[in-house]
Amino acid sequence: MTKNPFHLGFLMAGLRVTLHFYCHRDRALAMARAVRRHRSSILLIGLARGLAVAATLLTGLSCTKSDEVNFNRDIRPILNKQCVACHGGIRRQGDLNLLFRAEALLPGKSGKAAIVPFDAAASELIRRVSHGDPNERMPQDRDPLSGEDVRLLEQWINGGAPWTPHWAYVAPKDPELPAVSDPSWPKKPLDTFILARLDQEGLTPSPQADCPTLLRRVSLDLVGLPPAAEHVASACEHADTYEAFVDSLLASPRFGERWASMWLDLARYADSKGYEKDIPRTIWRYRDWVIRAFNADMPFDQFTIEQLAGDLLPAPAEEQLVATGFHRNTMTNTEGGTDDEEFRVAAVIDRVNTTWEVWQGTSFGCVQCHGHPYDPFRHEDYYRFLAFFNNTEDWDQDNEMPTLPHFEDADREAGEALLAEIRDLEDELRAVAARPDITRARLAWEGQLDDPEIVGQVPGRSQNEVRRIVAIPVEERDVGQEAFLNAIYADIAPDPRLSDLRKARREKQQALAALEPVLTPIMRELPTERQRSTHVFERGSFLLKGAAVTAGVPAALPEMLPEAPRNRLGMAQWLVSIDNPLTARVMVNRFWEQLFGAGIVESLEDFGTQGEPPSHPELLDHLAITFMHEHDWSMKAIIKDIVRSATYRQSSAINHDLLERDPRNRLLARGPRFRLSAEQIRDQALAVSGLLRDHMYGPSVKPPQPDGLWQNPYDNTRWVTSTDDDRYRRGLYTYWRRTVPYPSMATFDSPSREFCVSRRVRTNTPLQALVSLNDPVFVEAAQALARRMIRQAAGPDPDAQLLAGYELALARAPTASELASLRTLYDEALSHYGASPDDAYAISGGYHSAELAATTVAANAILNLDAFVTKQ
Amino acid sequence: MKLLEEARHAHLCGVTRRHFLKTCGTGLGAIAFASLGGCTPGLAPSASKMGAMDPLAQRSPHFTPTAKRVIFLHMAGGPSPLELFDYKPTLARLDGEQCPDSLLEGKRFAFIRGVPKMLGPQASFQQYGESGAWISHHLPHFSQVVDHVAFLKAMHTDEFNHAPAQLLVQTGSPRLGRPSMGAWVTYGLGTENENLPAFVVLLSGGVAPDAGASVYGSGFLPTVYQGVQCRSKGDPVLFLSNPDGLPSDLRRQSIDAITQINRQQYEAAGDPEILTRIAQYEMAFRMQTSVPEAMDIHKEPPYIHDMYGTEPGVTSFANNCLLARRLVERGVRFVQLFHWGWDSHGAGASEALNVGFVDRCRETDQPVTALLRDLHQRGLLDETLVIWGGEFGRTPMLENRSGLDNPFVGRDHHSDAFTMWLAGGGVKGGITHGETDEIGYAGIRGRVHVHDLQATILHLLGFDHERLTYPFQGRDFRLTDVHGAVVRNVIA
Repeated sequence: MTKNPFHLGFLMAGLRVTLHFYCHRDRALAMARAVRRHRSSILLIGLARGLAVAATLLTGLSCTKSDEVNFNRDIRPILNKQCVACHGGIRRQGDLNLLFRAEALLPGKSGKAAIVPFDAAASELIRRVSHGDPNERMPQDRDPLSGEDVRLLEQWINGGAPWTPHWAYVAPKDPELPAVSDPSWPKKPLDTFILARLDQEGLTPSPQADCPTLLRRVSLDLVGLPPAAEHVASACEHADTYEAFVDSLLASPRFGERWASMWLDLARYADSKGYEKDIPRTIWRYRDWVIRAFNADMPFDQFTIEQLAGDLLPAPAEEQLVATGFHRNTMTNTEGGTDDEEFRVAAVIDRVNTTWEVWQGTSFGCVQCHGHPYDPFRHEDYYRFLAFFNNTEDWDQDNEMPTLPHFEDADREAGEALLAEIRDLEDELRAVAARPDITRARLAWEGQLDDPEIVGQVPGRSQNEVRRIVAIPVEERDVGQEAFLNAIYADIAPDPRLSDLRKARREKQQALAALEPVLTPIMRELPTERQRSTHVFERGSFLLKGAAVTAGVPAALPEMLPEAPRNRLGMAQWLVSIDNPLTARVMVNRFWEQLFGAGIVESLEDFGTQGEPPSHPELLDHLAITFMHEHDWSMKAIIKDIVRSATYRQSSAINHDLLERDPRNRLLARGPRFRLSAEQIRDQALAVSGLLRDHMYGPSVKPPQPDGLWQNPYDNTRWVTSTDDDRYRRGLYTYWRRTVPYPSMATFDSPSREFCVSRRVRTNTPLQALVSLNDPVFVEAAQALARRMIRQAAGPDPDAQLLAGYELALARAPTASELASLRTLYDEALSHYGASPDDAYAISGGYHSAELAATTVAANAILNLDAFVTKQ
Repeated sequence: MKLLEEARHAHLCGVTRRHFLKTCGTGLGAIAFASLGGCTPGLAPSASKMGAMDPLAQRSPHFTPTAKRVIFLHMAGGPSPLELFDYKPTLARLDGEQCPDSLLEGKRFAFIRGVPKMLGPQASFQQYGESGAWISHHLPHFSQVVDHVAFLKAMHTDEFNHAPAQLLVQTGSPRLGRPSMGAWVTYGLGTENENLPAFVVLLSGGVAPDAGASVYGSGFLPTVYQGVQCRSKGDPVLFLSNPDGLPSDLRRQSIDAITQINRQQYEAAGDPEILTRIAQYEMAFRMQTSVPEAMDIHKEPPYIHDMYGTEPGVTSFANNCLLARRLVERGVRFVQLFHWGWDSHGAGASEALNVGFVDRCRETDQPVTALLRDLHQRGLLDETLVIWGGEFGRTPMLENRSGLDNPFVGRDHHSDAFTMWLAGGGVKGGITHGETDEIGYAGIRGRVHVHDLQATILHLLGFDHERLTYPFQGRDFRLTDVHGAVVRNVIA
């Protein structure tokens, strides 16, 4: 809402009057005009403006009629498209910024105000967009605005130029359920919003999907795996078991594995550190935390707080520290000659951008270098938010400190004792180094840093930061900078008091390393005396420090609670406070996208004015409110609501009319149908062939991949293929190296995990066909499926085997013609293998059986059917 | 990301319809055609922006291009221009002198510490061709084709380590995560070929690029645009070969069975995506023949092998040059070669200017020259842009890491001045753009940043580099980030 105090005051005064005219905008405006005609007092004029603004606001929000100007619908798109590139967050040409109403009303460089409310004729904006001289006309060097656009702008300004906030920055309100044509259709309140819209469009919902199809769909959606054929057969005999079936899936430990895949894309989880060397990182305990949290149905507010600030909770449990691995998934540059401070800042910036994308559906990255080009976020807002993240201990170090050690049970006591001793020694080192005589020695040392030999003692990647700080006069350094120099000096000074302590520390560290603890990177806040100050970076460069800022949230959004701490914990609490307009909407939209293939807001990562508007705004708000209030942030409960809805249960078949009317299924007159994810495609092939192992958690595994892919010139890490059961585990446990992703999954569009990704693109390429036809992993699955088909058929009848294969893979019987196609292939294969026993031996995986070989070829075909790689 | 959905929808309208009407049974063709009602422009307005295409279908750029295809010869490691093209007699006179402080102030080097000595050119130079280009004795073949070539002698970059510098050249950013040039070009132009990947990568020199597959990755563009590495050993494309014991005719029959069942699926479900999948299985099958065929240089006549110095069956830069010609001949849009081994520090024989560097010259001189001549004699050079260069240059100072007597000489990484060259595809031949100072330390005229080179390459392909964009994380990204100016001087 407008921040102009003049208007706000009168708006409030006029509001009560205006409420009377609720939805009678014309009468309110008439009254405003009447008041203005008299021009008897400034106060009255102000009141008139307030009335008009309030009237427009109210009508804009609640009583939109198509012939009225609506700022968000009619005006903002014109400003965004035509104006803000030059008069917005990046450039303010002519001193004009059209992102904030208060600024847009101020006189520009020319002395004239672009917008004079209620007076289009006096508004420079109107004069310039309708100017006859192309040199004067805006937008410069581009086609002029259409007459209709100019008319809308005039009408809007004459109506007071009301500035309604973008919908996403206004808290959701529980909408009333709309009336629908067929009250018997909805199974859940959410269905009424879908049906009401279909009613408007003159469309009818599709019938419910047949039982096996629906059970396969919901199973793939909830646990990422197809249902066992025998479960489907028995469940479909009892018509009322869908709800029970859903409940059993929600209770399965496979649920957490499936939904963790979604979250790990957002968390940019990987098993390597990124950048040039991209060497291994041990952070799988974070991945396991995510799986456990989904399985335990940890409420989303707690889920958020533990990941962003678990270390700042009172007496955090070990698991709450592991959760903070979320933001330790940033990349670490271990290359020689790089500047640690540069890459520490890069990691902090990634944490800011990722937090905004994940929880606020906002592209905050733009604000790193300048004000947001379209949305109401200022340059300082970015750095105020960055200040929340700028005081963790991690510093782009090879050892990834700070880490949380996890010991074998037998070593735990000894290990924790060593840790405590090391901590004490570190404290002592810093304390000793701060003694006056050593501080004096350090200042002398600072003066000698031009000597290559002296500076050479400083670890190479810290040298630049040391030089930068030393260049600042002592009295102008902040405590963090002094503490940094102190710590560097404590580690290299020749003083025997320090070197003895270092020797003791080294011994303890060696003893600790001998215990081989699992070291998981975590977040840990610097103690107050070592905290860094945060500055605006001019043009986004960490070397150009501008004004100092304190931690805070953008002014365009609700404030933090007064009692909340001004640190990461307070920030996390702010994200999941019920006043935050974005978090719940952004999250329910993610669930919706996972289940239906597209979000209600299609741009999951951008709820701002440049993002896509919601297809069903009231539905989005209904889900957000239900998620927060009714379900208390239970992710399982909101997912359950959606999969139990009539909307979700519809058949996904498309008829020609529907394809014509709604090719991308935005209206949801049919169920979802789209290709499975990379992990699901792997997992499903292993599951239906009986190869899948359900062992959970632990270090990532290396199933077979082609030789020679890992060829990093600076690193001799090799891909050593896992043996035994680890070859057959779910895709989410596959080792994820950022620069060399697992090829079959990358081909099916899994991201590199270098950065946060909200939406995976779904491509459809010939390379995917080559994977599922020829990748040895898929060939092995076909061989195992063939053996299963023969066992299941319990006899030599090829048709019985093919039928079994179809049921195992797709949870339904083939049609007669589908079976006939497979049978033809089987017969062709059998005749080939009858004549070529060596081929039969090879394709069947080491059996002297032409029949098994032929069944293997049929199984390979089944694993490549569109129906198999698609959720429908 | 809407683009892909649009593209996919549009795909149905264009390619699939053609494909099915032409090659499939009438039953399915009729169905496919009937389902295309949704493609009428008025009903799918967003699709019209893209034109009728699938993500890889041919598209027109912003204006008429002079180049249709690109071969990028990336000399990984950073070849020294001072021993190849940038003739500096003054540097020869300064050989062995202490480097003046003024050259070191405010500079960062990857390895040089303290005060190094100057190192004179480790080569002799002569002028060649009508253009009179200076070429060192290390490149006797190349000296004969200089009139096809435009030299950029004052290239500069922001990075002095291999991985970020390679990323900057290939993706426009020193950090991981951006699409590579080949991916952008493929995204912009699509493919001319239905049986081969649009963007092919060929590696030689025994070591992969420092930044791994990211230098030819698709970043945030759909993975369909990423470079496909074609390998000399094993499957030329991953998973291209049928499993052992499954002959090609049986694979044909199995794809027929899959297609028949998918057709039935389409009749029941009506999802156009199924038609795309059917087409992609057909293309996969064609690739099983066409990729090995394109990658098999055995059948090239002897005079071609003599020209390139190729030897079938090995992994070599020469073979990759010949493959590059075969691939562009077959309509591959972007062929990216990487040849490792130009990191001439002098710390050991393999990376010494007087040993390893000479070997690199010998390995590449003849095939690069043959590639230009071969493209020219086939009439392909006019529309094929060939780019040669590394990720940065080398210092005019001697790098002496250990401070001991060293039988090998070398130079450190240097980001301020290096040479690249362009040929074909509408480039003006026989010219030199830019000039470095008298020791080759910094550009003094006609400096060209890596982003300027990228803008120029896109220009030759018909793109305004500021308009070839893709929305990601709320922002329109482009290859040249927020920089880049076309080097008009090199355009014919």
